[in-house]
Amino acid sequence: MPAWVKGDATDADTAIAAAAALLAAARAPVIAGLSAEVAAIRAAYDLAGRIGASVDTAGAAGTYAELGALSRAGALTTTPAETVGRADAVLVVGETPWRDPLLKRLAGTKPVRGRAAAADRTLLALGGAASGAALACPADQGLPQALALLRAHVRGHLAGASAVADLAARLAAGRYVALLYDPAELGAPGVEMLQGLAIDLNDATRAFALALSGPGQDRAVVPVSAWTTGQAPRVGFGRRVPEHDPWRFDAARQAESGEADAALWLASVPVAAPGWLARVPSVALLGEPAADAAQVVIQVGRPGRDLGGVLWHEARAALTYRPASGPADLPSAASVLARLGERLAASRSVPAC
Amino acid sequence: MLSVIRGGRVVDPTAGRDAVGDLWIEDGRVVAPPGREPDRVVDAAGCVVMAGGVEVHSHIAGGNVVTSRLLLPDLYVSEAAPEGHPFAHAGGAAAWIGATYARMGYTTAVEPAMPPTHALATQLELADIPLLDRGALTVMGNDDHLLQLLRERQGAAAVRDLVALNVATSRGLGVKCINAGGASAFKDGALKLSLDEEIPCYGLTTRAIMGALLDAVEEIGVPHPLHVHCNNLGLPGADDSFAATLDAAEGRRIHFAHAQFYAYGADEGGGFRSAAERIARCIADNPNATLDIGQVVFGQTVTVSLDILRQFAGRKGAKPKKWAINAGDAEGGGVVPFLYRPRGPTSSLQWAIGLEIMLLSTDPERTILTTDHPNGGPFTQYPRIIHLLMDREERAREIATLPAVVGERSGLPGIEREYTLSEIAQLTRSGPARLLGLTDRGHLRPGARADVAVYRDDPDRTAMFTAAKLVLKDGTPIVEDGEVVEWRAGRTLSLAVEADTGMARRTDAYLTDRFGAGLDSFAVPDAAFEGPAFEAVACRA
Ligand SMILES: [Zn+2]
Repeated sequence: MPAWVKGDATDADTAIAAAAALLAAARAPVIAGLSAEVAAIRAAYDLAGRIGASVDTAGAAGTYAELGALSRAGALTTTPAETVGRADAVLVVGETPWRDPLLKRLAGTKPVRGRAAAADRTLLALGGAASGAALACPADQGLPQALALLRAHVRGHLAGASAVADLAARLAAGRYVALLYDPAELGAPGVEMLQGLAIDLNDATRAFALALSGPGQDRAVVPVSAWTTGQAPRVGFGRRVPEHDPWRFDAARQAESGEADAALWLASVPVAAPGWLARVPSVALLGEPAADAAQVVIQVGRPGRDLGGVLWHEARAALTYRPASGPADLPSAASVLARLGERLAASRSVPAC
Repeated sequence: MLSVIRGGRVVDPTAGRDAVGDLWIEDGRVVAPPGREPDRVVDAAGCVVMAGGVEVHSHIAGGNVVTSRLLLPDLYVSEAAPEGHPFAHAGGAAAWIGATYARMGYTTAVEPAMPPTHALATQLELADIPLLDRGALTVMGNDDHLLQLLRERQGAAAVRDLVALNVATSRGLGVKCINAGGASAFKDGALKLSLDEEIPCYGLTTRAIMGALLDAVEEIGVPHPLHVHCNNLGLPGADDSFAATLDAAEGRRIHFAHAQFYAYGADEGGGFRSAAERIARCIADNPNATLDIGQVVFGQTVTVSLDILRQFAGRKGAKPKKWAINAGDAEGGGVVPFLYRPRGPTSSLQWAIGLEIMLLSTDPERTILTTDHPNGGPFTQYPRIIHLLMDREERAREIATLPAVVGERSGLPGIEREYTLSEIAQLTRSGPARLLGLTDRGHLRPGARADVAVYRDDPDRTAMFTAAKLVLKDGTPIVEDGEVVEWRAGRTLSLAVEADTGMARRTDAYLTDRFGAGLDSFAVPDAAFEGPAFEAVACRA
């Protein structure tokens, strides 16, 4: 088991002992990243629950743009396969989705199911670099404002000849419309506006939002967190009750403000480590190891390669099991987290309320 | 180890047993009195001893349940964790669900709506519900692959093979259809659907889809009959949909989910009136039909359903005003918060109708207690509902606080019947176990799994059934004096069914074309779980 303490290669037991000591000394540890298979995500919440840590994810910016809009206004959504199979009109909002492989698939196929089957598919753009779009509207005032304007046209509150009016008419004429976006790019107010647009369009046709997944395994973390704690990912267990607070348990904020005094970064599925990790005593469990990523670094098996694991499958929009592709002599992140939990249980009493 | 629960009132309607006596248990099973000294004696004097409760229809896992937690983060209250489990008091979480059912004396619970596209996530969530044995029903009836087979008239054998493949792949315990064709119709612009209306693009009807599934379930030998969520849920005149669906079953076995939501006769003056008598008569006259109630309880809740046609139609009644509908693969899902207004005229009538169906039942064993959790209200209200069924005066006191519509549009106030403990056991134990085809539970005859609930006999039935004095799961005490004492894991019951390899190949090709990922990506392998999670249930011979 490759492991490093302060950049020096060491053995597993020494690294786990050092990691446990680092976490045991902390008053307010955070467990972050959670770019990992479901077994490791479960183990991370279990460890957080037992040591009173808080939890955050690698893709929280996009995840909370989604969750914030959902808990305020709700959602009307579809999946990539339904969009490919049914959509005759796709509105691409912003820049990021144009770089997604789904766009190529949408551009190269026609709908095959439902009332729009065999019709041509029209790609429309709002605020993006849109070489493949039949119609492109700029978003000079920002995406939320552009969506608000578009929505006003769809609702009939604004009229008159303009590119936005054309866009609104195209959407209203679609039989199955998909609104494609990256929540991290759009932000919570933009997502809420886009959901409002979908709701309005459904008075006369069918239109659904489709969000791209961000980095890491947030799409796996969200359901695991919800069924484990009853809440969305950013939960703290400092008071032995799972408390959900997107602001308080933002790991970057906690690290920068000095509230967090230790961190465990979990990325068995490789994802860029945040800058704040260097500011607190830290442990990293990594599928793609870097000796200096944290004070204590332990290499763990990468799911779908070194070991089997359940991961978010983007095309299926579901959790799926990925078997190992070859033998590897690496521990699972879940097993390392469990060993840490055992050591910490022995060294640390339950935090006071 | 040989144990005896001594001197309790043992209630087992399947054995005609309702008398003070002993219950002997060895190696996780109920045994006949062995004529040996026990190793352990539980004093059950003054207590009622029943089999562990069995739940057939409660939304305890899956995408909709997850979304409901995110849409309404404050629906449940979390408390500080007890010793032994960091999440058991996290309101609405899997561990909380297991612990809360177990405290009420339930030992088995079935999630009725597992879409094959999300089987693995649903099964992982179920496996995290501690203490109980779990199961899930595989939902079919809106997916393009099935509808294509039917449209192309590929024959009953192909449908049977596709259903068997879906149950086997998702590791379901049975099959459910939810407003068959309704989700598909919704995506093509429809706003309502009845039994014989044509589903756009397929030239099919609910009758045709459901009929094919009814046959497939019998052909495969699924112990649980097809679990049917009819068209037009919750609308005045839905009783016609219920009756027409029963006729369409043509004598085949059929289970009706949450019948209360269909017992709404259209009233000439507008709105609806109780059709409980009609529904009860339908079931009395058709021995192959069963129902569960979907009892309404007052207060804030959230409705979760794969009937996205219905959920979309109900969106404007959302309270608070937000809702989430996913028009995803096959059924997708829909989550609409709802307030059953305390003492409101509509909610009061709904409340009365559920009770009325149960109180008019000629066969409680085919009348299963559910609230369709959380759709009619939380399952935590079962003790209160049992109380109302068993105690006429308690019922009258509650009715007295409700608007007059209860007496004007339902027959509830005139019903004198009081359920006996044996009948409660039929409603919550023997009936649901038999319905699921689980012969090893729901009763206390020798050979039964030692899933046992011991309650202090108390005229306050609400208190009695809320916190059991003792609950055994497979002979092991898991609850004592209403508190969990051992956090053991149950198993997920899944049907042992063989899938046809030809159909598996065809389906793999279909799925690969549609999702860019084949049948493997729908699998629920043991390796995805921490330790053994499943237990096989045999098909009918
Ligand atoms: Zn239901």
